[in-house]
Amino acid sequence: MTKLLWGRRRPPLGLAATSVLVVALLVSPLALIVAQAAQGGWAKLWAALDRAFVASLLWNTVRLALAVTALAAALGTSMAWLTERTALPGRRAWAALLVVPIVVPDFVLAWTWSSMFPSVHGYWGSVLVMTLHLYPLVYLPMAAAFRASDPGQEEIARALGLTRWQAWLRVSVRQARSTLLGGSLLVCLALLGYYGAFEDLRYQTFTTAIFGEIQTQFSPQVASSLSLVLVGLSVLVLASEAAFSERGVLRRSGPMAQRAQSPAALGRARLPAVCSVAAVVAPAVGFPVFVVVYWLFAGGSSALPAAVSLGAAAGYTALYSALGAAVATVLALPVSLLATRHPSRWSLTLQRSTFAVQAVPGIVIALALVYAASHFIAFAYQSPELLVAAYAVMFFPLGLVAMTASVARASPRLEEVGRSLGKGPVTVRLQVTLPLVAPGLAAAFCFVFLSAATELTATLLLVPTGVQTLATQFWAYAEEGASFGAAAPYAATMMLMSVVPAYLLGRFFDRSLAAEKAGGAQVLGALT
Amino acid sequence: MAKGKRTRPAQTPTRARDYWYRRLLATALAGVLATALAAVGCPTAPAGASGTRADAITLYNGQHPQLTQAEVTAFEKQTGITVRVRTDDGVVLAEQILEEGARSPADVYLTENSPELMLLSQHHMLAELPKELLEQVPARYVSPTGNWAGVALRVSCLVYDPERVKASQLPAHLIQLAEPRWKGKVAIAPTDSDFLPLVGGVVATYGKQAALRWLQGLKANAVLYADDESVVAAVNRGQVALGVINQYYWYRLRAEVGPRNMRSKLYFFPRRDIGGLENISGAAVLASSRHKQAAERFVEFLVSSKGQRILAASDDYEYPVRPGVAPNPALPPLRAVRPAVLSVVKLGDDLPAAALLQQAGLT
Amino acid sequence: MSTVRLSGISKSYGRLPVLAGLDCEVPEGAVVAVLGKSGSGKTTLLRLVAGFERPDEGTIEIDEDVVDSAQRFVPPERRRVGYVAQEGNLFPHLTVEKNVAFGLSRAERAGGRAEELLALVGLADMGRRYPHQLSGGQQQRVALARALAPRPRVVLLDEPFSSLDAGLRASLRSDVMQLLREQHATTVFVTHDQEEALSVADLVGVMEGGRIRQFAAPEDLYARPLDRTVAEFVGEANILAGHVSSGWADTALGRLRVADALLPNYDGPASVLVRPEQITLRRPAGSSEEPAGTVLQREFYGHDCLLVVGFGATQLRVRCPGRPPAEVGEKVVLSASGEVACWPAPG
Repeated sequence: MTKLLWGRRRPPLGLAATSVLVVALLVSPLALIVAQAAQGGWAKLWAALDRAFVASLLWNTVRLALAVTALAAALGTSMAWLTERTALPGRRAWAALLVVPIVVPDFVLAWTWSSMFPSVHGYWGSVLVMTLHLYPLVYLPMAAAFRASDPGQEEIARALGLTRWQAWLRVSVRQARSTLLGGSLLVCLALLGYYGAFEDLRYQTFTTAIFGEIQTQFSPQVASSLSLVLVGLSVLVLASEAAFSERGVLRRSGPMAQRAQSPAALGRARLPAVCSVAAVVAPAVGFPVFVVVYWLFAGGSSALPAAVSLGAAAGYTALYSALGAAVATVLALPVSLLATRHPSRWSLTLQRSTFAVQAVPGIVIALALVYAASHFIAFAYQSPELLVAAYAVMFFPLGLVAMTASVARASPRLEEVGRSLGKGPVTVRLQVTLPLVAPGLAAAFCFVFLSAATELTATLLLVPTGVQTLATQFWAYAEEGASFGAAAPYAATMMLMSVVPAYLLGRFFDRSLAAEKAGGAQVLGALT
Repeated sequence: MAKGKRTRPAQTPTRARDYWYRRLLATALAGVLATALAAVGCPTAPAGASGTRADAITLYNGQHPQLTQAEVTAFEKQTGITVRVRTDDGVVLAEQILEEGARSPADVYLTENSPELMLLSQHHMLAELPKELLEQVPARYVSPTGNWAGVALRVSCLVYDPERVKASQLPAHLIQLAEPRWKGKVAIAPTDSDFLPLVGGVVATYGKQAALRWLQGLKANAVLYADDESVVAAVNRGQVALGVINQYYWYRLRAEVGPRNMRSKLYFFPRRDIGGLENISGAAVLASSRHKQAAERFVEFLVSSKGQRILAASDDYEYPVRPGVAPNPALPPLRAVRPAVLSVVKLGDDLPAAALLQQAGLT
Repeated sequence: MSTVRLSGISKSYGRLPVLAGLDCEVPEGAVVAVLGKSGSGKTTLLRLVAGFERPDEGTIEIDEDVVDSAQRFVPPERRRVGYVAQEGNLFPHLTVEKNVAFGLSRAERAGGRAEELLALVGLADMGRRYPHQLSGGQQQRVALARALAPRPRVVLLDEPFSSLDAGLRASLRSDVMQLLREQHATTVFVTHDQEEALSVADLVGVMEGGRIRQFAAPEDLYARPLDRTVAEFVGEANILAGHVSSGWADTALGRLRVADALLPNYDGPASVLVRPEQITLRRPAGSSEEPAGTVLQREFYGHDCLLVVGFGATQLRVRCPGRPPAEVGEKVVLSASGEVACWPAPG
């Protein structure tokens, strides 16, 4: 294999300094929350946490996380297998449909279910809604892993006497273990951070309790102490993933392994297979779309006046999401470059610590930013810049993950060759590195935009005076007004706004994998 | 490492093209950055304070947008003063004002319940209102220290589903809801800011210990909802037998879905039981405001006959405070409802109530 | 067509020294192979000449111009040094044609230089394809065309054929070398394959311990290696103990002439190098006092065969043309001929 000589070189000072700065910025909300929680003293902090109420929150959160993670993992993997490794009729169509839930925000999905079936609430309602919402986080990387896996290894296993099933389980699924773990990790972390869905489904978790504290207690201390517990849980999830995963990299062995794998024929199992995929797509995709359309036409006005018009809300949403996406992408680039070009324990730790931000739920970040703004950065208080900063901080890891594969492809070796051919350093970066990195940057932008446009919790806390985003206005209608008809257009607009970036994101993952298939060994660990 | 380490001699750009590329890149970056900053600064929501123009004020609005929007629109039309509204939960806004202190961008604070105003008053955050303003409102609906004025009234009551519980079975006292026979039949919204004053009322009437016991009984009996809108919607749908709300939520739901779809009914506690607590929604000018005159004009508008008539005509369904202004015709007259009247001083601020909620494990 | 001179080059990564005081001079138009084991710093050497890295000490001159010293550094884009890496490193986002034309000015591009080179490497009709649509060998050829297009002074190749399978390797190698000679390009390529180095290069440098141990024509290197390490590197070696006096070495295989210019006035014990093809075997005819051994192993290659013969306490590797004269286990009689290299042995 290639000797990573260049990896042993110390990275350029500018790159290293920028990365450290970025990471420090991202991790600072945590410090602020600790400061805020400890305001009344540690004894008070402990007293606020040492209650039966908190214990019940913990129990609620843990049992939900376990159920949803397990179900989403099973659902995502089985769907991935059906669409990538079997001769399922209409595979491509099903694969596209299975990804659509990404476009539907959690609180909208919960609203569609609870508005039509009020009995969907509490623990089982949350399990249902969350599984349907989060399984794509497992489906996408597992489908990619199954597509890129080497059939040669399974064939060897079969030559050694295993049946087709056993070969698949013990070879391919085993190899994809770290991918599965990564996807499950994302599911678990996302779950910990959601607020809107649980408020709607009346399931008490830490996030709903934090909001409850803010709304009844006159000091932020209890809210921040609950935030600490939430962060602690998230860090626990991250740590266990790091302990159990192999930080796996799935490679095709051999430079030009272009052989596609023969999909398993289903025979008589064809109809049941199609039915089972439809059984997932219908409630996950069909139902919410149907409900939104239904309320669009059925319900009409509301006594609740809109603070801003639909167009204005859409405009604000697009603007702030785009700005947040741009900032996150720009910040992620140096960290990504450092991690791929100068891999060392130090740079890897730096990269991992940004994932710690993923562990901090949006509401905690928002609270920290409010605290910082009101105490230290007065001019930023209630400003749009603060909201953009929140988006950038919250979704930074997503941007990092999306651009890593492209950045890895733009190896400095290519830059060197370019220079040996007579082009100066800037020209080379423009003509060689930029075209290679650009798809990754676009993917990062899309990913962050998508997430910011459908974000509710932090936006509720940080939105500037007189501004509403689609999410907050929807929330006002759906929750505070209980006027479903008036809420539907906002839900519809949010979903429409997410379609294009989601599509681009999917295409990027598809194309980058196609290039990897033909281009030899590359890092697929982007999603893990 | 080595003797004779090299120093990097200055590298000149290779070709003219490379040099120009650098310039282009730098300019492009600068341009993007500038555009971004401008774009962020430009939308119609500039940061923080409402600027030094005298014709704009910032309202921290804890009331429902149904009421506020109508009042703000009329006020802007009449005076030409722009009002920038920040709507949020009343308690959250009070907390915010306390955190912000003298730096607060708010000029006027309008909230649903008096305890929040009492709290701010205790922290000396509110400015004194002119006597002429205060005199337009009955004395019991005004701050004892003269720094806030009542704007609207609401009465706490029960909404019930007649198919699940008969009117004769309904409790005569709020405190009876903690009894075991109501297990699973009561809906409450403990995190709604309307609940805190009710708890405060129970404390004022029965004392802290009894109030705590009542809350603990409720925790065992009640189905919890996020807010009163959800409570009334749930009872109306037949999910729960009865719910604790303020009266106007029921009327709003009726306006929303139509009288034919209202299967639930309202029940007002008899004999002025604390369950029928009269809540005062009030407005104040902040002491730190830099536009006190304009702010006072807004508060005055709210209590003026024009403002009060707007309230009565709107979909808000709260009672006006100004004598001589009739409430919305859909509402029963206040006299008939016989609310429990507790002085604002006795009702106090929400702090003891909040502590009890925590103790009982409801938040 | 330029000379390359390296003087006193040292380079360390952290505390790990890779090159230590390396000297080398590549004459104009020559094809030079740098032979060394994996990790011996061959790639580092090339990267220094290309300008991708700077040495800690030493000077690099191309064509009498100093390109790297303590006072001066010429960046890679101005050195006009072509570089072909092990994996080709074609730009994945450009077509083959655009790849080859990357280093050309607009005028050169219009003049059809890219097509010219593609034709030269035998890929004239592949211009519109993308790198991932080509095979490994084709990619290497495109990489070479790309490097040659801007008419570099020196061409550097880093193990260019090692990632290809054996059959392709040989044919591509000869094609590429022919092309380079036609272009009269000064070529330096590094490899760990001694067969490759000896067969193709005009001069071979053996690298070990961060320095070039010996830099000579292949025949000289093979027949007159400077020491045991070099000897074993460039080919199979049988090292025998012997005694040298007045140009002759006495060994267990008989008396052999010492290759001239080695140890001219030495008298004493020495290690003697006998190449496998210098030893002949035959079946013993009756009992004799000629040196004898037993065949332990044999490998038949078609055109020749290699036998491992147990000889006293040691084993000798012997090459015989055609069919092996003896089977495993048989006793054979050995004799050696030709000139031998030898080095003083510790007493």
